[in-house]
Amino acid sequence: MTPRSPASIRSRLDFWQAASGACLALFVLVHLILEGSVVLSPTITDGIGWFLEATYAAQIAAPCIVALILFHFWIAARKFPLRSGELGIFIDHAKALKDPDTWLWLVQVVTAVVILAGAFFHVYTVMTDMPITVQGASQRLHNGWLLFHAVFLPSVILHTGIGIWRLAVKYGFCVKAQRDKWRKCIYIGMGCYLLLGVLALTRVWFQI
Amino acid sequence: MGRKLTFEIFRYAPLDPLSKPHMQTFVLEEHPSMTLFIALNMIRETQDATLQFDFCCRAGICGSCGMVINGRPGLACHTQTIDLPDHISLHPLPVFKLLGDLSVDTGTWFRNVGKKIESWIHTSKAFDPAAQEDRMDNDLATKIFELDRCIECGCCVAACGTARMREDFMGATAINRMARFYIDPRDNRTPADFYDLIGDDNGVFGCMGLLACDSVCPKKLPLHDQLGIMRRMVSVESVRGILPEFIRKKLAGSCGCHSKA
Repeated sequence: MTPRSPASIRSRLDFWQAASGACLALFVLVHLILEGSVVLSPTITDGIGWFLEATYAAQIAAPCIVALILFHFWIAARKFPLRSGELGIFIDHAKALKDPDTWLWLVQVVTAVVILAGAFFHVYTVMTDMPITVQGASQRLHNGWLLFHAVFLPSVILHTGIGIWRLAVKYGFCVKAQRDKWRKCIYIGMGCYLLLGVLALTRVWFQI
Repeated sequence: MGRKLTFEIFRYAPLDPLSKPHMQTFVLEEHPSMTLFIALNMIRETQDATLQFDFCCRAGICGSCGMVINGRPGLACHTQTIDLPDHISLHPLPVFKLLGDLSVDTGTWFRNVGKKIESWIHTSKAFDPAAQEDRMDNDLATKIFELDRCIECGCCVAACGTARMREDFMGATAINRMARFYIDPRDNRTPADFYDLIGDDNGVFGCMGLLACDSVCPKKLPLHDQLGIMRRMVSVESVRGILPEFIRKKLAGSCGCHSKA
């Protein structure tokens, strides 16, 4: 092994940002599918909830996911336009350039902040209101959490979709020749997940 | 009668203490096949002889006439007015040192970044002027030539959101240059050497995948594909000793590029 200078620890952050982002994206894709099972039948969702609780998967995974979100945010935040004037420069640049991918990065920054705050509340309310049931979720929605989900769900889907797109582009999995195809798939995927999420929320809302 | 084109051009002479940055309007009649290069020369010849802008080859080869055209970096000589609306705004390329009006100093920037990335062949082989040159596979020579087509106009740097925010970011052009040496068998540098040169947030990890470099490159270079290849190679190198070696080698094997490991 070649010895590395301390500065190289910082250069490994990109790898961990990508790795943690990929894990979180995978989690979101599976989580939303499992949640979306309520569209077929609330019994299926209750069954999944029971299984995840009985095997302690939910109790173990929830804090791990929050920790992973914090870790991912902490690493990715080094790219945030937080230093003096950076945000203004970037917005002016995006306005002048009129390039969709430049704007999408700002969307990712905004949704990252929404997710960081939202994920904590989401996990806290669900994990302190066990068992996980569709009935319980419905009650929470009627108690004012519908607005939260109306913001949180699109933020998560947008951040995940754009994140997967960026990961593929940055690491060369999506090359120039395939870019249009990838972009189309990502947009369709985000649309499908959003539709599934809206249908699931509607189904849960009318569960009571 | 051609269209009446209104040019709004950034004017500022940094060396003149009385000069203040402002936009100046010029009106010009459009001619068939008019490029921005022709239009700017007409303005300078007929309306304002003090207008500063750079040009040399008029054919998209020298990279001198890069400027921001209606918000997007491009080459004046490559841009036909017919492709633009009636109102055309022209600014100098950001990031680079402004010399005056639309003229910027890209040379110093490229020289500095070239030194930073050691943009030359590193070899231990002694040069023998009498010996025949080593033969190279034609496909590989074509690949190297493709990446060598960069004219250093600076458009990709000016279009890059990261470069706009962080002045130390070396930009797609430098990574493309590194990719050119990475595939060149005459360069003896290993992935570890490339990692030391570009493996930080000022280098390949600074790229946020905004793709604007690709969209504006006048030579249509696959800049982001090269960024992807180099990022994977350097990332895999960055976790040497952390990831199990068989996983790391597998990732390195799928790098999609000529491996020097």
